[in-house]
Amino acid sequence: MGTSVQVTPLCGVYNENPLSYLVSVDGFNFLIDCGWNDLFDTSLLEPLSRVASTIDAVLLSHPDTLHLGALPYAMKQLGLSAPVYATEPVHRLGLLTMYDQFLSRKQVSDLDLFTLDDIDNAFQNVIRLTYSQNYHLPGKGEGIVIAPHVAGHMLGGSIWRITKDGEDVIYAVDYNHRKERHLNGTVLQSFARPAVLITDAYHALYTNQTARQQRDKEFLDTISKHLEVGGNVLLPVDTAGRVLELLLILEQHWSQRGFSFPIYFLTYVSSSTIDYVKSFLEWMSDSISKSFETSRDNAFLLRHVTLLINKTDLDNAPLGPKVVLASMGSLEAGFARDIFVEWANDPRNLVLFTETGQFGTLARMLQSAPPPKFVKVTMSKRVPLAGEELIAYEEEQNRLKREEALRASLVKEEEIKASHGSDDNSSEPMVIDTKTTHDVVGSHGPAYKDILIDGFVPPSSSVAPMFPFFDNGCEWDEFGEVINPDDYVIKDEDMDRGAMHTGGDVDGRLDEATASLMLDTRPSKVISTELIVTVSCSLVKMDYEGRSDGRSIKSMIAHVSPLKLVLVHAIAEATEHLKQHCLNNICPHVYAPQIEETVDVTSDLCAYKVQLSEKLMSNVIFKKLGDSEVAWVDSEVGKTESDMRSLQPMTGAASPHKPVLVGDLKIADFKQFLSSKGVQVEFAGGGALRCGEYVTLRKVGPTGQKGGASGPQQILIEGPLCEDYYKIRDYLYSQFYLL
Amino acid sequence: MASSSISLKRREQPTTRDGDQLIVTPLGAGSEVGRSCVYMSFRGKNILFDCGIHPAYSGMAALPYFDEIDPSTIDVLLITHFHIDHAASLPYFLEKTTFNGRVFMTHATKAIYKLLLTDYVKVSKVSVEDMLFDEQDINKSMDKIEVIDFHQTVEVNGIKFWCYTAGHVLGAAMFMVDIAGVRILYTGDYSREEDRHLRAAELPQFSPDICIIESTSGVQLHQSRHIREKRFTDVIHSTVAQGGRVLIPAFALGRAQELLLILDEYWANHPDLNNIPIYYASPLAKKCMAVYQTYILSMNDRIRNQFANSNPFVFKHISPLNSIDDFSDVGPCVVMATPGGLQSGLSRQLFDSWCSDKKNACIIPGYMVEGTLAKTIINEPKEVTLMNGLTAPLNMQVHYISFSAHADYAQTSTFLKELMPPNIILVHGEANEMMRLKQKLFTEFPDGNTRIMTPKNCESVEMYFNSEKLAKTIGRLAEKTPDVGDSVSGILVKKGFTYQIMAPDELHVFSQLSTATVTQRITIPFAGAFGVIKHRLEKIFESVESSTDEESGLPALIVHERVTVKQESEKHISLQWSSDPISDMVSDSIVALVLNISREVPKIVVEEEDVVKSEEENGKKVEKVIYALLVSLFGDVKLGENGKLVIRVDGNVAQLDKESGEVESEHSGLKERVRVAFERIRSAVKPIPLSASS
Repeated sequence: MGTSVQVTPLCGVYNENPLSYLVSVDGFNFLIDCGWNDLFDTSLLEPLSRVASTIDAVLLSHPDTLHLGALPYAMKQLGLSAPVYATEPVHRLGLLTMYDQFLSRKQVSDLDLFTLDDIDNAFQNVIRLTYSQNYHLPGKGEGIVIAPHVAGHMLGGSIWRITKDGEDVIYAVDYNHRKERHLNGTVLQSFARPAVLITDAYHALYTNQTARQQRDKEFLDTISKHLEVGGNVLLPVDTAGRVLELLLILEQHWSQRGFSFPIYFLTYVSSSTIDYVKSFLEWMSDSISKSFETSRDNAFLLRHVTLLINKTDLDNAPLGPKVVLASMGSLEAGFARDIFVEWANDPRNLVLFTETGQFGTLARMLQSAPPPKFVKVTMSKRVPLAGEELIAYEEEQNRLKREEALRASLVKEEEIKASHGSDDNSSEPMVIDTKTTHDVVGSHGPAYKDILIDGFVPPSSSVAPMFPFFDNGCEWDEFGEVINPDDYVIKDEDMDRGAMHTGGDVDGRLDEATASLMLDTRPSKVISTELIVTVSCSLVKMDYEGRSDGRSIKSMIAHVSPLKLVLVHAIAEATEHLKQHCLNNICPHVYAPQIEETVDVTSDLCAYKVQLSEKLMSNVIFKKLGDSEVAWVDSEVGKTESDMRSLQPMTGAASPHKPVLVGDLKIADFKQFLSSKGVQVEFAGGGALRCGEYVTLRKVGPTGQKGGASGPQQILIEGPLCEDYYKIRDYLYSQFYLL
Repeated sequence: MASSSISLKRREQPTTRDGDQLIVTPLGAGSEVGRSCVYMSFRGKNILFDCGIHPAYSGMAALPYFDEIDPSTIDVLLITHFHIDHAASLPYFLEKTTFNGRVFMTHATKAIYKLLLTDYVKVSKVSVEDMLFDEQDINKSMDKIEVIDFHQTVEVNGIKFWCYTAGHVLGAAMFMVDIAGVRILYTGDYSREEDRHLRAAELPQFSPDICIIESTSGVQLHQSRHIREKRFTDVIHSTVAQGGRVLIPAFALGRAQELLLILDEYWANHPDLNNIPIYYASPLAKKCMAVYQTYILSMNDRIRNQFANSNPFVFKHISPLNSIDDFSDVGPCVVMATPGGLQSGLSRQLFDSWCSDKKNACIIPGYMVEGTLAKTIINEPKEVTLMNGLTAPLNMQVHYISFSAHADYAQTSTFLKELMPPNIILVHGEANEMMRLKQKLFTEFPDGNTRIMTPKNCESVEMYFNSEKLAKTIGRLAEKTPDVGDSVSGILVKKGFTYQIMAPDELHVFSQLSTATVTQRITIPFAGAFGVIKHRLEKIFESVESSTDEESGLPALIVHERVTVKQESEKHISLQWSSDPISDMVSDSIVALVLNISREVPKIVVEEEDVVKSEEENGKKVEKVIYALLVSLFGDVKLGENGKLVIRVDGNVAQLDKESGEVESEHSGLKERVRVAFERIRSAVKPIPLSASS
């Protein structure tokens, strides 16, 4: 009866690997997230490569590498061609993140997995949605509605709701229930009883999250302590995700304190990032949009932060203590790695990690306790070729170019042959001729071609080389030459002239330097050196990950109380811990599938639709309870004109039903209610409530987790036969609706 | 097509009130332009679209007719865009009325709303008593206004709504409201043509049942953008080339930004003009630039691409002008000044000093409200009255080049044809224009399935929608899909406009409600023999079973399968049962019985009466009760022939067979009522059934 739902993890279960899950809803395959790590390990994508071509839609949840890093590669190499859905910030900041990744990586390796064009192509056709936009999928997905909702964690970060036939599948990873400076908290708790919830157990074991104010204080104190003794502070950060929160904290603190220490934000795309972020106010926290609405203060008009896009600018910056936020957070590539190597051996300096590094990266290594004294680092650098190498390279290039041209010319010949196919028949004898000629001049034939490359191709059918001529024979009909009306339409676009020259790069806004870097085709190579870096600087880690902690995760899941729960993205221990917890307290159907293990979470819920006839409804008296209304119905099934089941009033007497008490009794609230009625109440031992002199009231039986009711409540009221007893019983009844 | 079939049905039976009534009442902008405010009510939900004031009036007279409605009943107030005639009575409505619903507008609208109204309060020179609100009210209203992003679906009290891009001005929205499946589209002001910075209005993907649409342009057709821009720049170019001055009275926000973009670009392409200054004399527009720079996501791709290189709203050839004192009137120049209607202020000051020179030109760039000077001079009168009361000849050239971002006839008719709404309500247009539009639209929808209405202010339009109530039966109840004639019983849960039917013990699974069972235990002093109780109980109740308590091994009785009576000690017995009305009643009677035993031990009277007789008596009693209750319900009840009861209500007659419960009547409503009443009475006088759950 229900909608069939299968979940198959492709990456990121029982470990902290990037996220990528296949969710199939009634045969429509969603790929939710398409992450990669900073090391670009292709082996992680093997499961994806097996299913990529069957995917019907891709949903992205956060603009960082872990959630969308593999998208360009998958689109280019794995045959992924489905439409991609994401929020505007996830699209834009995700694109910038990938640019930054590419450019950082290009500096230290011969990255050949994907190119900038592949990134552009992958992001070009992203369908952008706003929060709570119910998007009705077209075509094969007819009947499925998807909607992103606020997740917290990162700008534009989404939890996805997939709805079909009134059943919800919710995908919520890396959400944050706490409000931050630039983000609102998640709205996950507003969903109730979805059929399936797919969520991460990433922080299930992490419980001692410090209060925001205290954490901010420690954070700023640590930084200023190091600055004051003349040290530098490096914050390895992501390109466009969590870094925004850090920038705001620093910016605010600097303006409050009037600090003069410079702050630098250094990524290949820093200035475009901030420019775009400035126009994303709709997606930020209420306080930020409010302050803009009332005073037009854009919070991301950073006055104390200098945006840098190459390292030379940083090197040229005045000496003295400074704060640098640089990518990548993993220290595997990017400016952060170079700066770390430079600064690590000065004990005055500080490297402040704001999130747990990806598994197997330098950052993770440095975060281990106790921190290593020395680390071995392979430093790679791209240097322009010079001398013999350059000559060799150029020769190689020329050779390649020649080959390319040759191939092109051959292809062209083929084309010409094909296009002049009709002629070929008539000139058959000549073809034979050509062949013979060729044979004769065989020895210098290729040389011939070498000279005549590029657009000057000797057609195979001609004896001697000649300029290719295509007769654009015009078609005639009884009215004369056939014309194309489009050629004569006056384009209404001339007013756009001015704008269009300046339009330039349509999709991505890039800094000039970055652009020059991208267009830099100077021959270069990567050289690597092994270094032993002495780590004498301070290493501090603080939690600015912006994810809910273990306790909140549990209460959040309990609040949502899905009918079925799928756990992903966490180390085995955390997954197992949360699984057990949920099995015991929340719902009986908890799954934690392995990679490529398909779990069927089709709800075994039976359901059918009926029409409620006016006759029936006019006799139903609703009672209001919270935001819903309840009533008891006794009805008989009939048929409407359109052959649909409808509920009619009973023709005979309704068989009596067991009365039901509906309501949620909180003992503490009831105590207050009684005392307001003038009854003496106090808590006796064991959760019992002593009302008046003799009557006691208690909840018995298994009590469910807070919020997630695990069954009907059982309340026991006892006492001797007396007036008080009946009075208190009446008060108790008043807390419920009897149906 | 379900929607159109509804309207068809309505037409066939216009007298019966089939379905639920939907009312649309314009409180403003009904057959007029200005003070947009449309009230809508359906199934107990009340919505107000827009909350403007009339620019040609002042004080209370400028407000929409708020006294037609009870503001406290409004659930949601939706503001389409920031223009005065759509948003300016909001501070009044929020702060000075009993309204306590929720207000929504888009981000850009909210940001500009505050600037615009603060300016409006400062500029409007009315006496303090006439002031509808002050700056404080505006600031307070900011806290109550909630923001909604384009396409974001919001639900308030079961009302679902979301908005589409409307073109017109930055942040302008069309609202689609969905109440119990009936969809209403309110376009506000919209334009289907993309211009320099705004997107064209979107075409909603769902067809609405009712479309409340603006009709400002009536049956006019706009010139193509290309031509009107050329006219605009040509007039300016030739005027300044001859040494004249150009005045463009424009509203500070909206079209002004578009015109500035055109001018700045034109100047950039014509270096010969570069020594001629362009001013925009609006501090407000200057302030709003930050908003225009921020919400580029609401603009079109062209602006967003330009933004990638330099901010198109940082003008190279245009400078701001704060007041007329900073302006040295020495030669040819172009000034764009507010207000657009030339009522007062800088635009009027410049007009007064330039109007008599024929070298000068005045370009009216958009729609002008009736009653303003700008509207008057379009007809090129010979003379005009100056601000100081004198008259002066009107020699300057007056050009009306409409840059109005209101949909023209072509746009309106294609928009409506795409949507095919069965009901069209025209608002926001002058009465004559509106009638012409209505006539012309009728020719476009000749099949007669489309109703086009043009209510005046406070005139209600009524429609009826037979919205089916659909429920979803879930869980245990739905394990077997029932056939016709099967009965379905369960808890019906209504949330918003969705219904679910479920078994009571699954209530906590499928909803956020929970059920409870209350177990009661009372102890009663009783010193007699337990057997006596059993004996007496058996006299009264059908079922009294003996058992022993498992824990203590004490004797116990289960009465009527509900209440357990236990002998706790020599002096006490206890009663335990699970609460429900019948068990409570049973326990009460046991309690009474036990108390009476202890009081009247010796009086054991065995009343051996004739069973038949007692049954006869019982039957008589039952009949009496039934009769009395029927009389109290229906009044005129008589015993008719063949033992049937004849019930008369309002001239309708029903005959009730007391034995079978069958009712015969011409009137189906009465028949149903009598039947239900009789069923209930019968179940009330019957003995308590043994098991309730059967």
